Amino acid sequence: MSEKIKLYDATKCTACRGCQLACKQWNQLPAKQTYNSGSYQNPPDLQSNTWMLIRFQEVAAGNGVKWLYRKEACMHCTHAGCVKACPSGALHHTEYGTVSMDKEKCIGCKECIYACPFNVPRYDAKTDKISKCDMCFSRLDNGLEPACVKACPTAALKFGDKEDMIKVAEKRVKALGGDAAVYGPGFVGGTHMIYVLPEKAGVYTDLPVSPRVPFSVIAWKDLFKPLGLLAASGVLAGAFLHYIIHGPKDTSGGNAHHGGGE
Amino acid sequence: MIPKKGMIKVSDVWERIIHWWLAATCLLLIVTGLGMMFHSFNFLAAPVGGLKNLKLIHNFTGLLFIPALFFAVLTWWKEAGIFKFPEDLEWVKVAGGYLWHVDNPPETGRYNPGQKAFFLAVAGFGGLMVISGLIMWFPLSLPRILVAWMYPLHAMGLLVIFPFFFIHLYLGTIGVPGSAPAIFTGYVTRSWCEKQCPKWLKEKEKEGTLEVFGEEKKAAHGGHH
Repeated sequence: MSEKIKLYDATKCTACRGCQLACKQWNQLPAKQTYNSGSYQNPPDLQSNTWMLIRFQEVAAGNGVKWLYRKEACMHCTHAGCVKACPSGALHHTEYGTVSMDKEKCIGCKECIYACPFNVPRYDAKTDKISKCDMCFSRLDNGLEPACVKACPTAALKFGDKEDMIKVAEKRVKALGGDAAVYGPGFVGGTHMIYVLPEKAGVYTDLPVSPRVPFSVIAWKDLFKPLGLLAASGVLAGAFLHYIIHGPKDTSGGNAHHGGGE
Repeated sequence: MIPKKGMIKVSDVWERIIHWWLAATCLLLIVTGLGMMFHSFNFLAAPVGGLKNLKLIHNFTGLLFIPALFFAVLTWWKEAGIFKFPEDLEWVKVAGGYLWHVDNPPETGRYNPGQKAFFLAVAGFGGLMVISGLIMWFPLSLPRILVAWMYPLHAMGLLVIFPFFFIHLYLGTIGVPGSAPAIFTGYVTRSWCEKQCPKWLKEKEKEGTLEVFGEEKKAAHGGHH
C-alpha cells in the first residue's frame, strides 16, 4: 500500500469545525466540560478525547484584524519521536506511513508526550492511556478517507497518495503567492498531514517553525541505549577474558608476605 | 560457608542487610527496566502479565531502593566514599594488580580505590536514577524540557551502573575466591584479609578490635583498662 497524506489548506478553511465533530463521532469521543476562553477555539487545547482541533488566531491586518485558522492534530511524522520513544510498541507506523496507536499495548508511561515535536499525545489519568489522532486507521484500512476529510464542506481537507497531495499543495502555494508555503514535507522525514499556510509558519501560535525529534530523544535512543548495550556486553566479555587470561586472584595463604601478625 | 575458627569478621549484620537490600532492589530494577528499555526484552514482562505490571513493579521497587541507597551511603561513605592520596593513586597506576602482574601492589585499607569508585558510582548515579525516575513517574506538571532530559539521564545511569555492578559481582565471587562469605556470614579467612585489606587488618589488630571467630573478643575494654 502506498503512503497517504492528508492535506489541510488553511486558505480554504472556514473554521466550521465540521471536521472536529466528525472526528469525535467516528472515534466516539464525547465532549468534556469546557469553558469560554474568549475565543471560538473550543476546547482550548487538544485533549485525551479531542484528537483534532481547529485553532483560531487573531492577527493584525491593515486597520483591523483577521482570523488565522489551523487544524491541529497528529502530523504523522515519518521519523516519529513518539514511535521512537514508545517502550511497548503501542505507537507504530502503518503501511500508509501514518502513526497508529494500539491502546491495549499502551502502559501510560507518558514518554511519547516528551518526544513529540508537535505536542500532540494526551494522557488520560482515568484509563492510564495515551491518545492521539490515528488518521482514522479503521477507515483507511477499509479504503475510506479519514472522517475529518469526509466531513469537510469546502475541500480544505484532501486525502490521497503522498506524491499527488504534495503536488496539489505546491500548485496551490504557487497560485497563492506571497508568504504562502507548504508545511510538513520538509522535516521529520516528511509528515503525513501537510498544510498549505497563507502565512509564514512562525506567525501561527504553537506551530514549530522547524520541528525535529527532540535532541533528548536522540541522546537517549541513539546514544545511551547502544552505549549501554556496548558497555554491558563489554564487561561480560571482559570478565570472562579476565578469568581465562589473568585468572582469579589467589587469596589462599600460600605465599603471603606478611605472616600472621600476631 | 560456616565460619571456621580463626576467620575474621569483616562486615557486621547491618552492613550485610543493607548490602542485600540494595542488591535485591537494584537487580530487580535492572531486570524490569531492561524489559521496558528494549523491545527485544519486552518478553521479560510476560511472567507478570504485561509491560504495565512490569512498570508498576519497577516503580515500586524504586521506592524500596531509595531507603536502601540512603542507608548504604550513610553506612559506607566514610570508608568507601573518600579517595586518599597518594596511596590510592599508586594503586590506580597499577590497577591494583588486577589487570597485569604486579609484584607488590600497594596495600589497601578496608576498600580499595576500585571499590571506592564503585561506591561513588552507585551513590551518584543511584541518586540520579531516583530523581530522574521519580520525575518520569510523575512528569505532568513539570517543565517539558526538564522531563524530556530525564529519559536519557535514566538510560545513562544504567550505562554506568551495570558495568560496575557486573565487575563487582565477578570480583566478589569467582574473580577473587573467598570474597563472597564476607557478605554472607561476615567472616573471611585471615589470608584473604592479608591480600584484600592488609592495612585495615593491621589497624584492627593494633586497636585490639579485630573479631576472630572462635576467639574471645579482644574488645576495646580489654585494650583500654
